[in-house]
Amino acid sequence: MTDQGIKSRPIYAALRRDPSGRRHLYVSAGAEPPPPALCDGPLEGWSVGPPTAEGTRTPPEREGERRFRSASQLKATLARRLATERMGLRLYAEGPEDFLWDVFGIAQEHGLGRQEVFLKQAGTLARRVQCVHCKTLNEGVSTTIVRCAGCGANLFVRDHFSRRLSAFQGVKVDAEQPGDVPPAERAYP
Amino acid sequence: MNIQFRKDERFRESFSYVNSDAGVLRFPFPFGEDRYMYSVNIEPHTRGGPNPAFAHAFDIDEHYVAECRERALVLADDPGRCQVLPHMMPAQWDTLELLMESFAADYPEHFSLEKNGDTWRWINRPLGIEQTFVFGRPETLPCPPFEYITRQAQGDFTLQDQRDDNLFVDGGMVTTQADWSLDFDIGMSFHEWHGPVPLAHDIGVFDRALRFLLRLQYGHPVRRLNWTMTINPRLDTSPENYPDWGPDRTTVTPDNVSEKVHLRVELQTLFRLPRSNAILFGIRCYLLSLKDIERVEKWRKRLNRVLTTLPPELVEYKGLTRYRDTVLAHLAPRDDGAPLSSGIQPDQTTLPPSALSNQR
Amino acid sequence: MILDAPLTARVAGIDPLSPTLKRVRFVPERGRFPTAAPGAHILVTLRGPERIWKNAYSLVTPPEQRDSYAIIVRRVEASRGGSHFLHDHLKPGDPVEIGPPTSLFPIASLARRHILIGGGIGLTPFLSYLPVLRARGAAFELHQYCTDDESEVFAGLLAEAGGMAMIHGRTNRRSVAGILADQPLGTHVYTCGPERLMAAVEAAAFAAGWPSGAIHKESFGSAEGGAPFTVTLARSGRTVPVSESQSLLEALETAGVEAPCLCRGGACGVCLTRVIDGAIEHRDHVLTEEERAGGRLIATCVSRARSDALVLDL
Repeated sequence: MTDQGIKSRPIYAALRRDPSGRRHLYVSAGAEPPPPALCDGPLEGWSVGPPTAEGTRTPPEREGERRFRSASQLKATLARRLATERMGLRLYAEGPEDFLWDVFGIAQEHGLGRQEVFLKQAGTLARRVQCVHCKTLNEGVSTTIVRCAGCGANLFVRDHFSRRLSAFQGVKVDAEQPGDVPPAERAYP
Repeated sequence: MNIQFRKDERFRESFSYVNSDAGVLRFPFPFGEDRYMYSVNIEPHTRGGPNPAFAHAFDIDEHYVAECRERALVLADDPGRCQVLPHMMPAQWDTLELLMESFAADYPEHFSLEKNGDTWRWINRPLGIEQTFVFGRPETLPCPPFEYITRQAQGDFTLQDQRDDNLFVDGGMVTTQADWSLDFDIGMSFHEWHGPVPLAHDIGVFDRALRFLLRLQYGHPVRRLNWTMTINPRLDTSPENYPDWGPDRTTVTPDNVSEKVHLRVELQTLFRLPRSNAILFGIRCYLLSLKDIERVEKWRKRLNRVLTTLPPELVEYKGLTRYRDTVLAHLAPRDDGAPLSSGIQPDQTTLPPSALSNQR
Repeated sequence: MILDAPLTARVAGIDPLSPTLKRVRFVPERGRFPTAAPGAHILVTLRGPERIWKNAYSLVTPPEQRDSYAIIVRRVEASRGGSHFLHDHLKPGDPVEIGPPTSLFPIASLARRHILIGGGIGLTPFLSYLPVLRARGAAFELHQYCTDDESEVFAGLLAEAGGMAMIHGRTNRRSVAGILADQPLGTHVYTCGPERLMAAVEAAAFAAGWPSGAIHKESFGSAEGGAPFTVTLARSGRTVPVSESQSLLEALETAGVEAPCLCRGGACGVCLTRVIDGAIEHRDHVLTEEERAGGRLIATCVSRARSDALVLDL
């Protein structure tokens, strides 16, 4: 899929340790260790085991490491943790786009701003798509056009991205000429 | 000035919408030159200027009552068209104060505001509203203050919160929009919100506009005009309801083009608010049919020239692709190519009857 | 609210608060004043027998107070003269012109907790914050640093505004770093006072890992002198000297040139003027790095010439 030229779509830079922070927390939707560029000092690292682990957890390999059974468990724990955190924290998140902006939303709710949170997309490029007509969130969309699970409209996936909803916008592709639906292409693997 | 309100207008289904001759002549025609391109066309919103619609802080015209009724219909169907994030409560009261004080000062025959300490009494005669409430106490109003007052105003409004050297669209009342969704866009930064607009980013329009607006001063509002085109006099061209109005774009024919196609102009005003330091962004929508535009010689010729030379990206973004040629086929024979005065003013004070102009 | 002319007002009362502090209250000639932001300042035009001063002062009255505005002014020895005039000559009944209240020091809308740190007369913007923060039910603390002999004056002002403040005199004061340590996420700090105090607050906040967006400084009134230079006005061909104790804006005003201004502290951008020739020493908080490097715009209220002369598009 070519760039649609829409500037709301986030561009992610590689994660780097922000030296102005006093404490650093890295959360990942995957099981990989934190990138070396973050590890230039004390760092807490939270990660999620793969679905193949079926709920079992491997023990942490180093100080400050913590493993979760699922991304939702990690996010719930993050919310409780941030409720008691103090100024000086820097939060780094790595994972699929919907995970990143869910984490950002939790962070913002607890007082962290855009200068204190750093995000890097990793893993699937599949998109969460909000149907602008019926407001249904369609998860894991990998094609340029998707049939809305809520209202059945064939939605074109626009590059317009809402950080608040962690979602792209889906607009009925054949609204003007009903039935004129181009073939869907796999674009977001 | 006593405005005669057209109370029976409908902006949906059966459509009933008429501009008086005075209404046509006060239309804020957006093209001062024969070509159009994005620019930071922001000017001080001082009283006066080349159009009567600029005479007041917030313009009210003959469509006021009908537009407020249309807004109520949209909200009944989709309450998400009015949303304000929780940290914007001070900006909600700022908006209510600004609109009530402006309406009461500018249109005293239609609106009154009496204050007794924090207890305010608001009278809106055209809508038959009398409300006593305590300023700063939301529970003394029938709905939150921003929704309360913008239900009684023409045009859309958004609230921009200023932080981190940026503006965030953290609230709005959006029922008469040119195809953007408040529910989706709420919380976005200035550049994210304008993300879908083509070309303008690359020539730095939004960078410059943002830097300018971050310095916007209280008491010194600014304005600009923006435009698109709409089929039928439909105010609610929201993305939410695009499946309902999208097919209209295929219905334009040489026979109905002058009645169906409307130039849609937004008089955008930006006010710095005091308590919140937010910016209130008014997006006041005006619709004028091609048939009425034709009655103003300068506007008819200029619209032809602007549409002829419009960059293809803008034709696509503004949704004109399906019917622009039909409009041009209609306008081109009515433009002799003679030079036109620069500026948006109509250069005439009376209008020919619309039937006559159609026969030319 | 469209304000296309200055507000006309007169002096309603002058209260001496201490040997060097006076509170001046203004009332509008007609109607009511516009709603002022918490932390707003006004530009007051004072017409003396020989010259005119335009000085910026924080309002100490809250937004809802629209029948009068009040400011507190310290008589400064090294002043440009405005505070002397205000202390020694201004009297009740005198007419004054006031610019619309301007907010360059707003309360952060997303802050979950507010720490206000004032130094000396820098307390003034916080006097208009206090009633607002209380009405919003916000979590906040106020720390006022001052000399021991002024503790009582400031305590009195804070009590009028509703208290909840800690006064740090010379002999018994808590460190800024101690105040900023261990604050919850979402805390913002605001500081107004001597440059040294504001720099200490900023340094302590950075040391504790606070992001710059959570640190707010009221930076107007910090114009300082420098080497003298001359400025040529391209449109009239006039040349105006700028002395070492004068700002460029003051020199223009003294010469009778109508130059735009608002905050007089390099924060609002209203005075930005096009530079046709000459090298600029930028001291404002408005221009981007790019604009500074371009060297085509100067904030006349604070910035100066690095060369002997400037040519302005005026």
